[in-house]
Amino acid sequence: MSTIAETAPRRQTRRRMRVDGWRWGGRIFLVFMLFYTALPMIWMLLTSIKSGFAAMQFPPQWWPDEPTLASYQKLLDPQNSVGQDFLRFFWNSLFVSTATTILSVIVAVPAAYAFSRFRFPGRNFLFFAVLLRNMFPAVIFLVPLFILMRMLGLVNTHGSLILTYLTFGLPLAIWLLKGFYDNIPVQLEQAARIDGATRFQAFILIVMPLSTPGIIATAIYSFIGAWNEYIYAYTFLSKNEQLTLPVGIQRFFSENTTDFPGLMAASFMMSVPVVVLFLVLQRYFVRALTEGAVKH
Amino acid sequence: MAHVVLKDLVKTYGGFKAVNNVSLTVNDGEFVALVGPSGCGKTTTLNLVAGLIPITSGDIVIGDRVVNDLDPKDRDIAMVFQNYALYPQKSVYKNLAFPLQMRKLPRDEIDKKVKDAARVLDMTHLLERKPRELSGGQQQRVALGRALVRDPAVFLMDEPLSNLDAKLRVQMRSEIKRFHQDLKATIIYVTHDQLEAVTMADKMAVMNGGFLQQYDSPAQVFAHPMNMFVASFIGSPAMSLIPLQASTANGNTVLTSAEGWTLKLSPRNARKVAGATTKKVVLGARHSTIKLHKSAVPGSIPAKAYTVEPTGDVTFVQAFLSGAIVNVSVPPTITVAPDEQIWLEFDQERMHLFDGETEMALKAD
Repeated sequence: MSTIAETAPRRQTRRRMRVDGWRWGGRIFLVFMLFYTALPMIWMLLTSIKSGFAAMQFPPQWWPDEPTLASYQKLLDPQNSVGQDFLRFFWNSLFVSTATTILSVIVAVPAAYAFSRFRFPGRNFLFFAVLLRNMFPAVIFLVPLFILMRMLGLVNTHGSLILTYLTFGLPLAIWLLKGFYDNIPVQLEQAARIDGATRFQAFILIVMPLSTPGIIATAIYSFIGAWNEYIYAYTFLSKNEQLTLPVGIQRFFSENTTDFPGLMAASFMMSVPVVVLFLVLQRYFVRALTEGAVKH
Repeated sequence: MAHVVLKDLVKTYGGFKAVNNVSLTVNDGEFVALVGPSGCGKTTTLNLVAGLIPITSGDIVIGDRVVNDLDPKDRDIAMVFQNYALYPQKSVYKNLAFPLQMRKLPRDEIDKKVKDAARVLDMTHLLERKPRELSGGQQQRVALGRALVRDPAVFLMDEPLSNLDAKLRVQMRSEIKRFHQDLKATIIYVTHDQLEAVTMADKMAVMNGGFLQQYDSPAQVFAHPMNMFVASFIGSPAMSLIPLQASTANGNTVLTSAEGWTLKLSPRNARKVAGATTKKVVLGARHSTIKLHKSAVPGSIPAKAYTVEPTGDVTFVQAFLSGAIVNVSVPPTITVAPDEQIWLEFDQERMHLFDGETEMALKAD
C-alpha cells in the first residue's frame, strides 16, 4: 500500500514536467518564429525613415542618426512625379482588388449556398471541379490566360486582372463560405419559411446575417490575394498608368537607381491595408458563429 | 383551428419509400402523436405536412384546402423544432415578432400579441435576451411562444422535448398538454418516445418502415395492438413475445414450446389461433399480466429468473422462455434471486396472440 501511495504522486509530477518541457519548447519556437517574421518588417520600417545615404552605410546604422519622413512626403505628394505614380498605382490596386472582392462575394455567396443546401445532379463533381484550378501552380496558367485575354481584347486592361483573380479566389471563397453555411442549421430557414418568409427572404433575413462573419472573412481573403498578386499583373499590363502596386513599386524604383528608403516607405504603405484587414479578419474569425442557435 | 387529412401520402427518395401510403385524419382540436423508431418516416411525414419537402403523391388537406403545392408560409401552420431553431441574432422579442412581421401586421398589434404570448408562457422578463442567454427549458418555451403567437390552424412539433434533461422533459410534457387543453389546438406531435405519445396524445399513429401501423387512442393501441411491432414498441418494459407451435389434441388447442412445456388455451384464445395462417403462433404478454409463482401451480410454466431489477414500486424479473425474454413485474415484497426456479402463469383474458408468419394480431372472430 505504502509503495503505491509514494510512487503515484511522483509519476504525476514527472508527467507534468514533461508537458511543461513541451510547452516551453513550443514557446521558444514561437519566439524564434516571431523574430523571423518581425525582423524584416522592423528593418523595412527603420530603413524607410533613413536618408538615402544612411540606408547604404556599412556597418549599418541600427537606429537612424537622423530619422526623416522625407520618403513618405515624397510618395504622398501629388505635385511630385514620384508621388503621382505611387498614388496612381495605389488607386489602381485598390480598384482591381475591390472589384475582385465585390464580384467574388456576389458569385461565391449564392454558389456556396447552393452547394451547401441543394442536392442536384453533378453537385459533387462540380464542387471538386471548382477546386481543380487550385491543384496546379498559378504560373502554368500564365501563358494560356494571356492568349485568352489577348483574344478577348483584355490585355492592358484591369478587367484581365479582375477576371484572373476571380478564377484564383473564387474556389477558396466558395469552399470557405460553404463551410459557414453548413454550420447554419437548416431548421432556421425552415422555421423562417413556416413563419411566413419565402425561401429567398429566409436566406436574406436569417441566413445572411448569420453568415456575415464568413462573408467578411471571404471578402478579406479575396482582397488580400488580389492586392499582393505580382506575376499576372506584370504579364498582362505594360502601360505605366495601369500598373498595380506590386509591379509599380518594383519597376518604378529600379529605374531611379535604388532609393531604398523610398522603396521601403512604399512597401510599408502598401502593407498597411492588408495589416488592417487582417486585424479585422481576426476579430470575425474568433466570433462564435451560431452559438445558442440550436442545441447540438 | 382546423382538421388535417392525409390521403395515401407517399414520399420516395430514389427507390426508397420513406413514407408509404399513409392515410389518417386529425380532427379539429385533436392532439395526435406520430410515434415510431428512428427512420420510420414520422419526421418525413411531418415535414410533408409542413411543406418543407415536396410530396411524391397523395393529398394533404388542412382545414378545407388541399395544400399539396402550397409554400410552408401559406399553409397556416406553426412548427416547433427539436433544436428549437431560434434565430440566434434576434432577441426573444424579435423571435416572437418575426412571424407577425412577415405577415405585415401593424407594429402596435405585433407588440400586443408578443407581450400576450410572453405572459401566457411566463417569460416577459426574458424578452430582451438573446437565445444563447437562455436555458434549454426557456429556449423551448420561446420556440413554443413563436408558434403560439400567430394563432395558426395547426401546430406541428418535431420531438420538441428530446433535447431536455429528464426532469425538465416531464415538466414541459405537462405544460404542452396544458397548452393543448387551453387552446383546443390541433397538434401533430412527432416523438420516438412512446411514453410521451401515450401520456400526451388523444390519438397515436404508430409508424414503422414508412407504413402507418396503427392509428387509435393510446388506450386502444395499448390494449389491442394490431401487430407484433406495435405490441413490442408501445409499453415499457416491452411486451414479451414468445414464439410457440399451435396444435389441437382431443378438442383442446395447445401451444407447445420447443423447450417441451405446453400451454392450454381458453376457448376464446383457441378460436383466435384457429384463424392463423400457420401453426407458428407468437404469444404476447405484458409484464403486469403474468403472475410469478415460487412453486408449480396448474397451468404455470417453469422458468429460471435471469435478472432481477428492483425499481422501488415494483420489481422487474426477467426470464427466458423458448429463447425469448419475458418481463414480469412483482410487488417489491416478493424477493426473487437470480437463477432461482420460478413458475409463470399467463392471464388468458389479457394475453395477445399473433400469427407467426404475418405478425398480425389474431382475432377471435
